[in-house]
Parts: sequence; C-alpha cells; structure tokens
Amino acid sequence: MIQVEALHKRYGGQVALESVDFVVPRGEIFGFVGPNGAGKTTTIRILATLAVPDTGTATVGGIPVADDPHGVRELIGYMPDFFGVYDRLTAEEYLQFYAACHAVPHRRRRAVAHELLELVDLGDRAEHQVDTLSRGMKQRLCLARALVHDPQVLLLDEPASGLDPRARIEMRELIRELRRMGKTILVSSHILPELEELCTWVGFIDRGRMVAAGPMADVRNRVLVGRRLRVEVVAPDDIKLFAARDQIAGRTGVIEVQLVENGLEVAVEDEFADQDLLVALVQAGVAVRSFAPVTGDLSEAFMRLTGPGVERAR
Amino acid sequence: MTTLRERLVTLLDNPLIIKDGVSRMRTWRAPVILTLYLGLLGAFGYASFVTATVIGPGERSGSAQIGATVFGSLAFIQLSLVSLFAPALAAGAISGERERQTFDVLLVSRMTAGAIVWGKLVASVAFMLLLILSALPLFAAVFLFGGIDFQQFVITQLLTVTTAVSIGGVSLFLSAVFRRTLPSTVVAYGVAFVGLIGTLVAGALFSFALLLRAPGAGLPSTNGDFHPFLFTNPFYALWVVLNNPNGAPMAVGRLIQLLFFVSGQPASIGPSVEPWQAAVLIQVVLVALSVVGAIHMVQSRRAPTPLRPPDATAAPVAGAAEDAAELPGASGAEVRQ
Repeated sequence: MIQVEALHKRYGGQVALESVDFVVPRGEIFGFVGPNGAGKTTTIRILATLAVPDTGTATVGGIPVADDPHGVRELIGYMPDFFGVYDRLTAEEYLQFYAACHAVPHRRRRAVAHELLELVDLGDRAEHQVDTLSRGMKQRLCLARALVHDPQVLLLDEPASGLDPRARIEMRELIRELRRMGKTILVSSHILPELEELCTWVGFIDRGRMVAAGPMADVRNRVLVGRRLRVEVVAPDDIKLFAARDQIAGRTGVIEVQLVENGLEVAVEDEFADQDLLVALVQAGVAVRSFAPVTGDLSEAFMRLTGPGVERAR
Repeated sequence: MTTLRERLVTLLDNPLIIKDGVSRMRTWRAPVILTLYLGLLGAFGYASFVTATVIGPGERSGSAQIGATVFGSLAFIQLSLVSLFAPALAAGAISGERERQTFDVLLVSRMTAGAIVWGKLVASVAFMLLLILSALPLFAAVFLFGGIDFQQFVITQLLTVTTAVSIGGVSLFLSAVFRRTLPSTVVAYGVAFVGLIGTLVAGALFSFALLLRAPGAGLPSTNGDFHPFLFTNPFYALWVVLNNPNGAPMAVGRLIQLLFFVSGQPASIGPSVEPWQAAVLIQVVLVALSVVGAIHMVQSRRAPTPLRPPDATAAPVAGAAEDAAELPGASGAEVRQ
C-alpha cells in the first residue's frame, strides 16, 4: 500500500534522508522507529505530499506522490506530530469543517462528524469548544480529523507524544480498531515499547538511513537470536541460580542462559515450548517467583542496529 | 451548464469562509470593533455637523451645505478607519494558520491553493464589508440633508470597498510570505501607509514640481495638472468625487506624459479617466496580483502538481489489491548494517 524507494532529501547542507526504502502492505500497522531527527517526519511529509524528495520515489496505493499528489491526498489521512486546533469551534464544527475541506457532501458532514466523535469516544463532547478539551481528547479529535474522508492509509506522526499513560492506551486501542476497519497505518514514534505492542511491521531509521524494515518477527529474528524468557527465583543465591542454570542449559531449543539480578534470562528458539522449561525448573526444586517472556525486544533490536559499532561499520 | 447563481454559490461555499466567519464572530473583539467603528464614525459625524451648523453658521448656509460637509467628513473618516482595520484583519490570515499549526493539515486536504487563498480573502474582507454596511444607515441619514447626489454616494462606498479589499489582498499576500503574523502585520501597515499617505505626499510634491514648470520659466506649461501619482490615491479620488462636479478627468496619454515629466503639448490620446476610476482600476490590479502571489506562496508549501495529468491507465485505482509479496523487500525483513 505504501512503497518508498531510495528517498534522498537535503535541507541546505543538512542531509535529512540518505537512503530510505520500505514497504507497508495493505492492512498492516507499520511502526516507523527512530530517534528524534532521524528522518521520520521528513519521510512522512513526503508521503503526505508536503515535501518533495531530491531523488527516489514514494507511492501510496500505487500512485506516485510526485506524479499525482492530489490523488494521493484522497487516499491518505495525515496526523502531524503537533496538533493545531481552532479556537471557538465546537468539536463537531471542527470535524465538519475538515469534512468540507475534503469535499464530503453537505448532507453527510454532520453524520460523519458524529460517527467519528463516537469512534474516538468523544460523542459526549460534540458541543464542547475544541480549545477546552484535554490534550488526550484533542489528540483523539485530531485522529478523527484525519479520518473525515475515510482514507485507506493513515500517516500518524508521533500520535502519542505528550500523552499521559491512560491517553496513550486509549490511542493505542484506537489505532488497533482502525486496523480492524481495514486501514493501513504508518505510525512513527521513538517510544519503542509502545510500538512493540501495536505494530505488525516495523522500520528502523537512523540518521536518515533505513537500517531495517519488514514484519516485526522477521526484523527481530534477524537482529536478535531467539526469544528471551525471564525467570525470577525466590530468595536467590548463587547456589540456587547455578542449579537452575544447570537444569536449563543444554536443553534442546535453549540457546543461551544468562544470570541476571534475582534470576535468569534464557534465550530460546522461536518454536521452543516455554512451559517445558517451567516444568523442568519446578521439578528440580527451583522456587520460581515469576516466569515470563522478556518485553523490549524491539528496543534491543534497535539498539543493536543503531549502536556505535554500526556507525563504525558504515 | 452551470448558471451564474450556481457559480456564485460554489465560490462562496468555501469552508474557510464559514469557519473564519463563525470563529471571528464568536469573539468579544467582533462586537467591540463594530461598536468602536460606528462610535468613532458617529462621533466624527456629529462633530462635523456641529462645526457646520453651530461654529460656522455664517459660512455654511442651507441643509445641502451641511449635508455635503458631514457626508464628506464621514466618507474620509470611514476610508481612514477601514484602512486602519484592514491590515489587522487580513495580515494574520495565512500566517495565523501556520502559527496555529493547522496549515499543513489544510494543505493535505482537497482544497486547492486557490480555494485556500480565496476563502481567506473573503473571510478577511467580509468583516470589513460588514463594517461598511453597518455604517450605511449613518450615511443614509446624512443623505437626507441633501448636497450629495446618488452617484457620489455610490462612488464613495465603492472606493471604500475597493480600498478595503486591496489592503486586505496585499495583507493576505504578506501573511503568505511571512511565517509569523507580527512581521506580516507590521509590513502590511507599512505598505498601507506608503500606498495611502506616501502616494498622497509624493503626488502633491510632484504636482507642485509640475506647477513650477510655468510659462515663462522656459519650460512648457503643465496647465496646473496634478501628477498621476495622485490618481492612485483613494483619498485624492474621494476628494475629487466630493468636491469636483466634473470629476477632473484626464486622458491616459496626458497621464503618461505627466508621469514622466515629458514636455510638449498636452496629449489627448486614449480615453479620459477620472481619479476614482484610476484608483479603483489600480486597486483591482493590486488585488489580482496579491491573490496570484499568495496562491503561488501557498502552493509552494506542498508538492507541486505536475502540469501533465497523471496517466490514467498507469495509475492503479485506489483500493486495488496489492499483495505485499509483490513488492520488493516485502517478503521479509531487510536489515542493513
């Protein structure tokens, strides 16, 4: 649905994008990950027809952005990394205004505004002035704004930035709901745990270069060896921990065992049956306090791909 | 085939006009500006009436004289006030969208650059038109005194409207050029000052220079003609409309002759133009140039639409099935190090 090939962009002497290419298939949530200033916003602005690349191509729904920006605008809903709202307009008027900007027929605008306000859980705020809404509500309203013309593709630039934890969760659920509705979503962020739970595809960008892109599991598997499980032991001491390690190490499917604070971290192959490990530990008399997969794989993968060693290798 | 009414509806069915109108009229500023405007106009009108009837009764006699004096005062005050308000109302139209961080979203919508600029221009000018319309009863009351014919009344209002629109147009262009409203407003006031006062002063000085070229001074006479710079000035045009019954028309050839201080017999080439006609024409051209400039500035903020329309056969229909596997690099992760 989105295809980006060899994008280059310079602002004066500053290189914003050096080599960016990735694809986002229809119906996927693509997490566009990178530190501040990596080139995420520039790429999204190119896809949103707000900037022109120096070289390279970007297509949305098969339409090249450079050849038919008007056609692309009909396909995309864009939410920038800042949310500007108009004072002295109600939430409903605000959405109706943007519906009119997207040439939604008169008779449909009111209904569209109401449907979207319900979708983003602001149905009871329809008559409230936009500038009186909380930041989280404004952010959800801006997402609703991006949907007024029922676009197939959503370009969301840091949609959860500056939100409190509750608002972040609400935003995440909303994005999942949009995927269920069949939207293809490109969402950028520099907060990796947030994206890890949300995205099906991922792309890492660092200093204007794409360092990895593809389905989430593929990227992780390419960068990290296996999945990681964390085992916490009751009243851990060296004897208990070494005993536990000996029980695990060498089993089929176990790649590596590391001693960590209060327990062990075990790297296992993707097909490994986690419960067998737990059974073995309990049978060996290890008092297991907790047993869970390690989250933060994406962060680990990102750090490995963008670390100082990578810079030297370039 | 679209009728004129349909075209008019299409032109005015611009979301920015409605949004800005609603937004503006909901502030406390709108009624305050309206009250201030009518209050100032009324106060000056009354002061003029008092001056004409009480202070100098010996010099002014008859209601026609009083009517002409009060009407003239009101017209000049109205033109001044509109010129004062216009930059403030229009100079933040586009830069304000940038400051509010809503401009990009507008550019990503289906609105063309032309529609954005047109909507902003109408929304800015509409409030000035409201001011001018709201003052009509005041002018109508003075009209009852006599001393002013209907043509003078219409031309006076027309000049006021075109001056408001032209200052609004230039201010709008400046708001597209500058990223911030403050510099855009300052420059808009500067341009308005040069356009209204600068041309008046320059025109007066040049007219004086023309006067010095009197017969006997070794130079051909200019017959006391005014310099064409004054023809660009709405205040001068208004003064002529109110005080010169024949409208002081001048042939275009003569205007060009005077513009460049060309010696020789007065040329009578081309049609005769009255100052108000010249002022309105120049203002219309100014508005057109400003709108074109503003459209260009807005368009430059987004990816340009190619002159050649996209190939309809090549462009896939939105919604066409697209298998990720067909796309290069989509079959699996690409990792580069």
